Amino acid sequence: MSRALVVRLSATFLALGCAWVAYTQAPQGKQQTKQASNKLNKITDDLYEIEGDGGNVAVYITSEGVIVVDDKFEYDFNDIMAKIKSVTTQPVKYVLNTHHHADHTGSNEHFLPTAEIISTANARKNMIEGKQPGAPRVVFTDETDVYLGGKQVQMKYFGRGHTNGDAMVYFPALRTLHTGDLVAGTSPLIDYSGGGSLKEWAATLDGAMKLDFDTMIPGHGPVGRKADMLTYRNNVEKLRMEVTGMLRQNKSRDDIAKVVQDKYGWAPTGLQFQRGFDGMLAELKR
Amino acid sequence: MSRTLLVRLSAVLIVLAGAWVAYTQAPPQGKDGKQAKQPNNTINKVAEDLYVIIGDGGNSSVYVTNQGVILVDDKFEYDGQDIVDKVKSVTNQPIKYVLNTHLHGDHTGSNERFLPTAEIIATKNARDNMVKNKAPGVMRVVFTDETDIFLGGKEVRMKYYGRGHTNGDAVVYFPALRILASGDIGANNGPNVDYANGGSMKEWGATLDGVLKLDFDTVIPGHGPVSKRQYLIDYRDVATKLPATVISMVREGKSKDDIAKVFTTNGGLWANPNVVNKLDQIMAELKN
Repeated sequence: MSRALVVRLSATFLALGCAWVAYTQAPQGKQQTKQASNKLNKITDDLYEIEGDGGNVAVYITSEGVIVVDDKFEYDFNDIMAKIKSVTTQPVKYVLNTHHHADHTGSNEHFLPTAEIISTANARKNMIEGKQPGAPRVVFTDETDVYLGGKQVQMKYFGRGHTNGDAMVYFPALRTLHTGDLVAGTSPLIDYSGGGSLKEWAATLDGAMKLDFDTMIPGHGPVGRKADMLTYRNNVEKLRMEVTGMLRQNKSRDDIAKVVQDKYGWAPTGLQFQRGFDGMLAELKR
Repeated sequence: MSRTLLVRLSAVLIVLAGAWVAYTQAPPQGKDGKQAKQPNNTINKVAEDLYVIIGDGGNSSVYVTNQGVILVDDKFEYDGQDIVDKVKSVTNQPIKYVLNTHLHGDHTGSNERFLPTAEIIATKNARDNMVKNKAPGVMRVVFTDETDIFLGGKEVRMKYYGRGHTNGDAVVYFPALRILASGDIGANNGPNVDYANGGSMKEWGATLDGVLKLDFDTVIPGHGPVSKRQYLIDYRDVATKLPATVISMVREGKSKDDIAKVFTTNGGLWANPNVVNKLDQIMAELKN
């Protein structure tokens, strides 16, 4: 085989390989870019946030290593590492997954050999069922705390909502909370195949609001305040009550679909509608 | 200086240095009366890939997987190297996780040694107690209700069921093997309530009721030989009847000596010096 042929063949295989990876790892979020596109923002003291592709990543720096919350898509791994290296020389020691979706756990495989990845037991179960790579070795059901370099991070499960395994990550010393996708955008994405529940979502947020915090890092979108969680919670309840009311009036599926599209922004081709609509009707009929 | 003198002087110095090391490194007095400064342990196979190291301090369980070893409890500080050696005698895999059933130094003594290379996990209350007592080797990761470790295709479940020996006792369950490491809420020297660290005689029985909902055949107690499930059922019964007996005898106006006599004459787990010696505290708790 000539050298040129080997190079060409290799290039072809590489391209095919990339295409396959891109296909199988196809992001579920709104971001479809294969090139990482993120921005690192300082929140307070030693806490940063990486916003852009997939879910928001929190970066907490301690003198004994970095605690990361969520790790976006697989193709964001190098960019996440570059962003972290731009603010600290400490290695990533812990990765906390708020839930199982690939836009929050996509780089797990890269972190698994050198960091402890932690999620709820249900989130791991969902990852295994979905044959997702990078399942964590350590899970919890109610609460786990990580103490590193004199700092504390608290990870808590408050109940169902976006899925049946959403955890929030609380930074007590900074009065800051990473909500995962229990707060993301303006209207909820209820992943019924991942155990989500609109009925229980508000109560889950009520539990989280008992925590003492000012700053909120949502699963997606810009950093907000605690008051924004209340707004989101009330919008969740408004949706539940409105759809329940329409079901009681025997409104048609199309009529209800039009309301959630016009008033709540659920595009017919979007994930909120595709993953949540029929499940929501079934849950609220019960 | 003659060569003989030099040799003699060196020998004296070595002996003195040895004595000094032995003195300064003297381990804390174990509650269970183990005073050995030299580790004295044996490793026994319990089931496929599961071993127990018995001897000094609390029992250590060793679960071998193809991605590393999960260790339950790590005895005293002076047992650390012996634990590593015993594990090496059955596998080349490194110790990746150390699960502490509670805070006491006979179960967490080698934590410092494992902390740089393994993840150590305990209940949040166990960690809080260690911090309060300024114990070395405080873990980075804690949980409140349940944590599970998945390693090399195997699962280990660690659960908190409530107060008993302390307020932070976890049991470690090996579902595939139907085996439970009970920690000291099932130690074979009988219920020993550590009131300073949140223990409770009143709640101990209910805590074991929770533990017994798990499906297991074999118990590795915190101390003592590997036993069958019935051992923990009997233990639960004692832990439940004991406070009830004390309460009724107090109500009947029986003296402390009379109550103590009931324990000693009952024998077995009842005739436990820890119970008799702590009768004042137990009575104080049960009066509330």
